[in-house]
Amino acid sequence: MALLYGLIWRLLLILVHINRALVSWVRVRLRSWKGRLWERAIAALLLPLALAGFPDHQKKLNHNPDANAVTGNRAASRRSRWLSDGRSLEKLPVHVGLLVAEEEPSYTDIANLVVWCMAVGISYVSVYDNHGIFRKNNSRMLEEVVRQQQDLLGVDGSKYNVEVLSNSCDKHQHYVVSCRPTVKVLSPEDGKQSIVQAAQQLCRAVENKERSSKDISVSMLDVLLRESKNFPDPELVVKFGPVDSTLGFLPWHIRLTEFISIPSHRNVSYEDLLNALQQYGSCQQRLGQ
Amino acid sequence: MSWIKEDELNLLEKISANVLKAGPMPKHVAFIMDGNRRFARKKHMERQEGHMQGFNKLAETLRWCKHLNIQEVTVYAFSIENFKRTKDEVDGLMELAKQKFLKLLDERDNLEKHGVCVRVLGDLEMLPLDLQELIAKAVITTKSHNKCFLNVCFAYTSRYEITNAVREMAWGVEKGLIRASDVSEALLSECLYSSNSPNPDLLIRTSGEVRLSDFLLWQTSHSCLVFQSVLWPEYSFWNLCEAILQYQLNYKSIQKARDLHQEHQALLQLEADRACVAEHLQHHGNGKPADAQRRQEALLHYTTCREERIQDFLEALKHKRDSYFSDLCSKDVLA
Repeated sequence: MALLYGLIWRLLLILVHINRALVSWVRVRLRSWKGRLWERAIAALLLPLALAGFPDHQKKLNHNPDANAVTGNRAASRRSRWLSDGRSLEKLPVHVGLLVAEEEPSYTDIANLVVWCMAVGISYVSVYDNHGIFRKNNSRMLEEVVRQQQDLLGVDGSKYNVEVLSNSCDKHQHYVVSCRPTVKVLSPEDGKQSIVQAAQQLCRAVENKERSSKDISVSMLDVLLRESKNFPDPELVVKFGPVDSTLGFLPWHIRLTEFISIPSHRNVSYEDLLNALQQYGSCQQRLGQ
Repeated sequence: MSWIKEDELNLLEKISANVLKAGPMPKHVAFIMDGNRRFARKKHMERQEGHMQGFNKLAETLRWCKHLNIQEVTVYAFSIENFKRTKDEVDGLMELAKQKFLKLLDERDNLEKHGVCVRVLGDLEMLPLDLQELIAKAVITTKSHNKCFLNVCFAYTSRYEITNAVREMAWGVEKGLIRASDVSEALLSECLYSSNSPNPDLLIRTSGEVRLSDFLLWQTSHSCLVFQSVLWPEYSFWNLCEAILQYQLNYKSIQKARDLHQEHQALLQLEADRACVAEHLQHHGNGKPADAQRRQEALLHYTTCREERIQDFLEALKHKRDSYFSDLCSKDVLA
């Protein structure tokens, strides 16, 4: 009997996996089909006018926009579009966390996400994976972000200069100091381990009779965990990958954070991010009341 | 309106339960029972009625968990933030809690029969004294039961819990039971209100909200999180099965992440111990660098002493917590 149930269970799991694969396949096809449909519609409408120069027109439609001579203009129009998208949202998070729960992260895609977040008007972006890969390759992440910044936002992307903070090393890689979008690279050490370190600090103060145990309060611990960087708590965490867990992401700071999932960060599109932000915009926080 | 519902599952439910049990099952499930007030609005009833329906649903969910061999359940009944609600609503909830704990004491024989141990986690001093006394009685009455465990988080937020754990460790340092260097992730976990329970395998939040609202933030860092849009009073056996299935789909990857984290912890502890030993040898050595064998012996000795210190401290902490409950009970007896 147990064998039979075991078989049915395995079958159930297979069915769920097939269902998920189908859903994501349909999603991808729908997106590309919609895109092609739009282009085809434009082509069809313009066909009578473009009959003479039809081959040229087709070439223009398929032309890689980045190789276009008017790249600067395209970047500017993208920037203003993204900024207006940000403004049109009901509410915009001040700090967004990007939690990558997938093996072998793609630096380009993450950098894209970071740049889009900043372009839309989000002031703080943190990037996390539970193996600490991003932290180990901090400089590579930074290079990728700068590169994508230039690609997507154009040469005038200097308005969005990025301050990349890394905690464990003493040197901070500053680019610009004040009022700029800031990117933080996080690893599991920033989670429970930093709470433990704060606890050790307080206990050492108690050991040295500088403090009494009764003085320890939530706000005291909160201040210690915020360090000097004054990063606000993340209002939104966008989770990439099939794992339904926070995997150790900043346990103290996520008490009121909304979690929105996107199936994968590989080849993620701006629209995916915008959807997540729109979903966030419609969340209502009652704060206990 | 009882805590214990004794009905069996129907045939279809039994079959589904058996299918699920063929796979890995969560041993500890946590629930954020959200949606009582929205349910009341939807059904045009009073808010208080919504909360009562919510309690009924809790009793039913416990029955399902028993049939699914889920031994431990933790629920978020009342947050410290909920004190911000109107006085009427807060008073209503306190009154409901009092009734429920009185009922629990009434049903103590039934609870003993099913082996249900009820624990209440939170900053209980914030509650009215009579409710604290009832809670103390309920906890002490069911203390020795060990078939299944229900943890009710009342006057609870995770940040207060973590802060309290840090305060307890500082108390231990003050009393000379432990040193500041003994503070570790494992020790902090032992000082939380939930120290008698393993970390939840699965956290379920109903009503469609996708946040944790200051609930078990430390304990659920590597748990499967399932957000379901059904309102809590409408929760069904099939919703629970759906959540468990999701747990099973995530099982391997979460287990891998947990193992990785534990490995890392063990490494950190070893490094910390080595650093302490090196410092000790430097201070008490005779200037010559110690050989590898001496270092190894010193490390073993240090680790053993540290573990003994921690055991003594945890005993003292347990005694302190038990006294809190027994004092409340005896106060009531005297009154």
